[in-house]
Amino acid sequence: MEDNLVLSVQDVSIIYQVARGNVKATNNVSFDLYKGEALALIGESGSGKTTVSLSFIKMLPSAAKVTTGKALYTREGKTVNIFELNEERMRAFRWQDCAMVFQGAQNAFNPVLKIKEQFFDTAKAHGWRKRKEVYDRALELLKLVRLDPERVLESYPHELSGGMKQRTLLALGVLLDPQVVILDEPTTALDILTQRAIIDVLKEMQGRLGFSIIFISHDLALAAEMASQVATMYAGEMVELGTVDEIFYESLHPYTLGLLQSVPRLERGQDELTSIKGNPPDLIDPPSGCKFHPRCDFAEAKCAEKKPEFATYEKEHKVACWFPEKVIEARQGLWEKAS
Amino acid sequence: MNFLKLVWQNKAGFVGFCGLVFYLLIITVGQWVVDFDDDVKLDQINSPPGSRLILLTRPEDKERYVSLADLEGHSVGVLEKTGGPAFVNNYANADAIKVETYKWRSSRGVPDALEGLAKGEVDALVMFSKLAQRFVLDSENRYFQKDYAHLTISNSKLGPMLLLGADTQGRDMFTHVMNGGRILIITAVTAGLISTLIAFVLGTIAALVGGMLDRALVALANFIIVIPRFPLLVVLAALVTLNNWVLLATLIGLLAWPALMRAVRAQVLSLKERDYVEAAVALDLSQAHIIFREILPNMMSFVAINFVVAITSAMYDQIGLIFLGMAPINDYTWGVMLYFGRSRGTLFNADSAAMLLAPVIAIAFFQVSLVLFSRSLEELFDPRLRSA
Amino acid sequence: MQALPAKSQTQPFSFLEKIWRNYTLRTVIQSIFTVWAVITFIFFLVRLMPGNPIEIYVNYLINSENLTYEQAYNRAASQFQFDPSASWLEQYFGYIGQLLRGNLGESITSTGTKVIDQIMRFLPWTVFCVGLALLLSFVLGMLFGMIAAYYRNSWIDNLISIIAAILGAVPDYIWGLMIIIICGVQLKWFNVGDLRGTFDPSLQPGFTFAFIFSVIQHALLPILTYVMGTVGFWILAMRGSTTSTLGEDYVNIARARGLSQGRIITAYVGRNASLPLFTLLAINIGFVIGGSIIVEELFVYKGLGSFLFWSITQRDYTTMQGILLMITIAVVFSNMLADLLYSRLDPRVRISGDS
Ligand SMILES: Nc1ncnc2c1ncn2[C@@H]1O[C@H](COP(=O)(O)OP(=O)(O)OP(=O)(O)O)[C@@H](O)[C@H]1O
Ligand SMILES: [Mg+2]
Repeated sequence: MEDNLVLSVQDVSIIYQVARGNVKATNNVSFDLYKGEALALIGESGSGKTTVSLSFIKMLPSAAKVTTGKALYTREGKTVNIFELNEERMRAFRWQDCAMVFQGAQNAFNPVLKIKEQFFDTAKAHGWRKRKEVYDRALELLKLVRLDPERVLESYPHELSGGMKQRTLLALGVLLDPQVVILDEPTTALDILTQRAIIDVLKEMQGRLGFSIIFISHDLALAAEMASQVATMYAGEMVELGTVDEIFYESLHPYTLGLLQSVPRLERGQDELTSIKGNPPDLIDPPSGCKFHPRCDFAEAKCAEKKPEFATYEKEHKVACWFPEKVIEARQGLWEKAS
Repeated sequence: MNFLKLVWQNKAGFVGFCGLVFYLLIITVGQWVVDFDDDVKLDQINSPPGSRLILLTRPEDKERYVSLADLEGHSVGVLEKTGGPAFVNNYANADAIKVETYKWRSSRGVPDALEGLAKGEVDALVMFSKLAQRFVLDSENRYFQKDYAHLTISNSKLGPMLLLGADTQGRDMFTHVMNGGRILIITAVTAGLISTLIAFVLGTIAALVGGMLDRALVALANFIIVIPRFPLLVVLAALVTLNNWVLLATLIGLLAWPALMRAVRAQVLSLKERDYVEAAVALDLSQAHIIFREILPNMMSFVAINFVVAITSAMYDQIGLIFLGMAPINDYTWGVMLYFGRSRGTLFNADSAAMLLAPVIAIAFFQVSLVLFSRSLEELFDPRLRSA
Repeated sequence: MQALPAKSQTQPFSFLEKIWRNYTLRTVIQSIFTVWAVITFIFFLVRLMPGNPIEIYVNYLINSENLTYEQAYNRAASQFQFDPSASWLEQYFGYIGQLLRGNLGESITSTGTKVIDQIMRFLPWTVFCVGLALLLSFVLGMLFGMIAAYYRNSWIDNLISIIAAILGAVPDYIWGLMIIIICGVQLKWFNVGDLRGTFDPSLQPGFTFAFIFSVIQHALLPILTYVMGTVGFWILAMRGSTTSTLGEDYVNIARARGLSQGRIITAYVGRNASLPLFTLLAINIGFVIGGSIIVEELFVYKGLGSFLFWSITQRDYTTMQGILLMITIAVVFSNMLADLLYSRLDPRVRISGDS
């Protein structure tokens, strides 16, 4: 298993320096990503999902600073700390090793260049100058995402629909055979059918090309479908990490449970929907102890005083909570009511 | 107060704001502080800024010849085309003085006169202090005449001093600069008001009414925009005689609205899409309500900024016309000063620089104040532009 | 200016519709239409103004040259290219007919000289000067505007922006005056008198080094003046446009794609940021040409601007009318070129139907 480790994120913290103080957008996040694996990051808006993934390609805005941690990336036996790459090596690293498809990428293509030029641009920036080869590869990838390759390559971005653009971007994302592809809400702003099509395409591509995925989404159903591992983030911290089944059926953190309860599920009635009470905390001046305690139904005095460790509960299933047993109990109550 | 505080935050905008207040003071109370003085003072002709007539003598005569009275029965040298000749002629007992006039040629005239004094052709010279400074006092000056450096000033305050000197007709330039802005600024503001008003009204109508009227108005605006405004103005000025500022302001205002009108139209169209306006329409509130309550308040900042910009462009047109002599020159304004500066050739006279630079700077600073102020207004109204 | 046929008539007019859909053709047709409107406007301008210039001219002829009313009127008619006894409509079509043959009438003051010939003598100098100045200030403006946007809110940006605002605020002819007074008369960096005219009259026009040098030398001050008067506008426009382009996703993604900084600055930021500037070009061309009347007059540069001024002081109405027409046509067509260039640069324009 160790041999297949692609990205090992250890204890990463990131702050944004703003006029009011420091926004602690990511705190001590750690996880491992293996070859061909897909990890889903879920969590409310503002929980730091984009921030942490931007740090892997050093594309954080200038106000941001990585304060602690390492991101070790391994390719062909060689391991480097991404944060220590210099500007030129970082440039080469981007897209070739780690491609990121941004949130809401409707505007992802330069409007004045034909799609094929943008494929050539990308290839050329990484020293691949044979236009014919690039063209053929692009044809193949576009076919993989089920587009009419010739037409797309000869088009300008505005001539493509939103879904087509998104799929083209996926194809462009794997042009250079990256090991890691980060997808930041790749399907928001698309209709359900297109979302489906894109997820299918993505799975097929992953199966063929064997890259690893970090999948960021609000949509738990999509996350469940795409990923093998799921991580829940809350207020810049990772609060639970496990396999899809563990997270969805054996969740250990009250926040994860809250998230699951706030989406409709076939096996549960509509009236069971509840949202998590309260609002996400202020990240400049976060609550003491467990950051979730002001919103938590199971909180006790201890929760406000001491921060729970992000520790292994069983096997690979990790959680940061003082009372996971309470969650298990509550969860079972829920299931019983449903059945 | 709040407004001032916000303006203060933007340093450049604050400078512009202060500049405008300064100009406002000049055009309102300035005229009581510094009277407009259009008298032709022959004894001040071509007086350089900040200088006055002095009496220059040979060192041994320093005590003897101090005023013109001391020179009765003696000879006095003056420079042609300066205030000197008139000054001596104005003296009550002028007949008693023998006057020697030296030709003024840009650099030769003064040395001739100095030579005359040194050789004893004349007993004293009446000249402007700046010239004396340049030729005999300041040894660093490139006009400095070593041979005559011994000549001394026996009376350094023979005549009055004019802050900015006088023009070729002996008129006090300082009072002109102080008073030459009023009509210009009033005209520019009026023209700006006219064009902004037209643009605003037509733009709003076009956007709200839509249909054929909208198309026609936009087509008209597009059409007027392509005709270069200034040449058209010049031709129009040649066809109708522009003999008063109201007409000038109207003409400028009538040609300046199209660009702003298109912008206003676009703004109103986008405002119409906003929720609260749509809600007002859905509630079937009257057009007047929609215009005055919903749209107008949201357009105020936009209109205010563009009004300021319209003033600058009206100023451009106006002074351009005056400079070419195509607009009223019976009011003595900065523009007219430039016009005379060029038509009378003082533009190329090194000694008259201040005379032209004063109105040039007055105009330039006015424009800069307006633009800086409008930029700070923009920031004021649009928090996104405010830097942290 | 929407000449779109009504929907119900689409069948027989589908050909016209097709033309309308083609961006290039449509732009050309619109320009021609505008020129026609301008011609009409100027025709009525000169004939409808209070104090009909033709009447004034006739009176002038009667008084100064002792002609009879008849003679004077005939002379005026031949110079203005119209038959005064004809109806408005006939006059109008006669005028347009003459224009189509390139006939702008004869000069009033120098009898027998064709206005078009005069214009052709002066036009190239103005086109040369104004064109070069516009190009320079456009390029400089893009450069400094981009620099300011890249370093926004730093001291570099503040400095560039404030200088741009000041440059843009002050009229170009005021800059010209300052150049003459400060650099020419006070500091004596150059002799203003020597730089009058379009080239040194002692030289023979031709492709000699001395001549070309002289031409550039004489054009330098007007060009500098135009550039100072307009570059601020371009800097601020480019700064704003670049700032918003820099926030676009495709720029970020281009970085994520590992493109080189140079490629991003030119093909991704620069090209997109400069697009809106092309639509501003048209207004600016008219502005600079307008300013050329004063600037050329100031530097005694013998171009179309100073010729227009001269003809106005001479009350040479036919020449005036001709120059105004030529200037406007020049602006309309440079406008059109800018539009077409814009459509080359922005693929989105070509296809979209109505703006
Ligand atoms: N440029 C910035 N400057 C200051 N704070 C920022 C900046 N970008 C993000 N933040 C803050 O960092 C926190 C995390 O933001 P991030 O974009 O990573 O959230 P996210 O989980 O991706 O949310 P979403 O699901 O809405 O995309 C938020 O509280 C946000 O306010
Ligand atoms: Mg995000």
